[in-house]
Amino acid sequence: MKTTGLVAVPSWDLPVRIFHWLLVALFGAQLYSGTTGGNAMPWHLYGGYAVLTLVLFRVIWGFVGGGRARFSDFVSSPANALRYSKRLFSRQSSHAVGHNPLGGWMVLASLALLAVQAATGLFANDDIATEGPLAALVSKEVSDRITSIHKLNLKLLLALVALHVAAVLYHRWAKKEDLIRAMFTGVKHVPEAVAAAAGATRHASYWLAAILFAAAAAVVSLIVNRPF
Amino acid sequence: MNIKRSLTLAAVGMILAASVAADAAAQAKPEDLVKQRRAAMTLMAKYIGPVGAMVQGKIPYDAAIVARNSSFVDTLDKMPWDGFQPSTRDVKDTKAKPEIYGNADKFKSRWEHLQEEVGKLAAAAKGGDQNAVKAAFGGVGKACKACHDDFRRE
Repeated sequence: MKTTGLVAVPSWDLPVRIFHWLLVALFGAQLYSGTTGGNAMPWHLYGGYAVLTLVLFRVIWGFVGGGRARFSDFVSSPANALRYSKRLFSRQSSHAVGHNPLGGWMVLASLALLAVQAATGLFANDDIATEGPLAALVSKEVSDRITSIHKLNLKLLLALVALHVAAVLYHRWAKKEDLIRAMFTGVKHVPEAVAAAAGATRHASYWLAAILFAAAAAVVSLIVNRPF
Repeated sequence: MNIKRSLTLAAVGMILAASVAADAAAQAKPEDLVKQRRAAMTLMAKYIGPVGAMVQGKIPYDAAIVARNSSFVDTLDKMPWDGFQPSTRDVKDTKAKPEIYGNADKFKSRWEHLQEEVGKLAAAAKGGDQNAVKAAFGGVGKACKACHDDFRRE
């Protein structure tokens, strides 16, 4: 979708893109295993640990990552987001090299809900044959209540996912911004003025990403296995 | 007395006997019915629990315990259901949804399905094939879940 007057700028670095699509795949798998039950439940637990690892990694990457991964790149004041939302429905495109002000809040909300979902899962039980690895630390009543939150929060997550997909499609068809493609290629096409105002793109080492991801996995493994 | 008449009498007798059994549950105190059906469920959980832990590899597999527990559950899973009388609708100490009493057929199909799946588990456990036990256990878990999803409050 090359339009005149637009320049290609790096937006999502490789770790962000891998994070995003792994999360999409895991979200589908978790939805399937969680609603199927039975022998899919042990897999639901492993999937939950993987989601927790991804979220933990993404939060760290939000401070040290490259491209437009950092929170400081895309978290703007609620007032700014509100101002932005007023022109959301104009056909005029509203390019951003990273997340736009509303999208930034969507990312924060997603990460928060995913963290709640994974964390409550650790303490949940299904009253059949499965319980989270930390359920034994709390009473059955508390675990039951946390399980209710796990189920309620899923509804919020599904609503947020629907909103996210709808917003991306809206940008694609109404505002002619192909965000889906950018999440694969890492490159966005924005007006020169926007690119200039955004400044140079950071690069963060992929080795650093790999090490941080491994560290996140190690932390989750410690939480789950409770070796001490 | 001709054959037709004695058959009719026998049929009436059987219907009376069956309704006496059902009435016994219907006339019991609602609080007692809830207590009793929960007791049956609790025992099902007690005996199915270790089977789950074994097929999931959390504790060492013991075929004798799996066979014994599965056969216990195969009997226990007959017990809770006549405790779900409409009279228990307003009892506080239960997670059973009142929808049960408006959807008696669906509820029944749920517990019949559970009994079917537990029957398969008990048969597999007797056979001793660990993979068959594991597959059957998954079916039991799904049957539990299907009914809980529809008829149990959070």
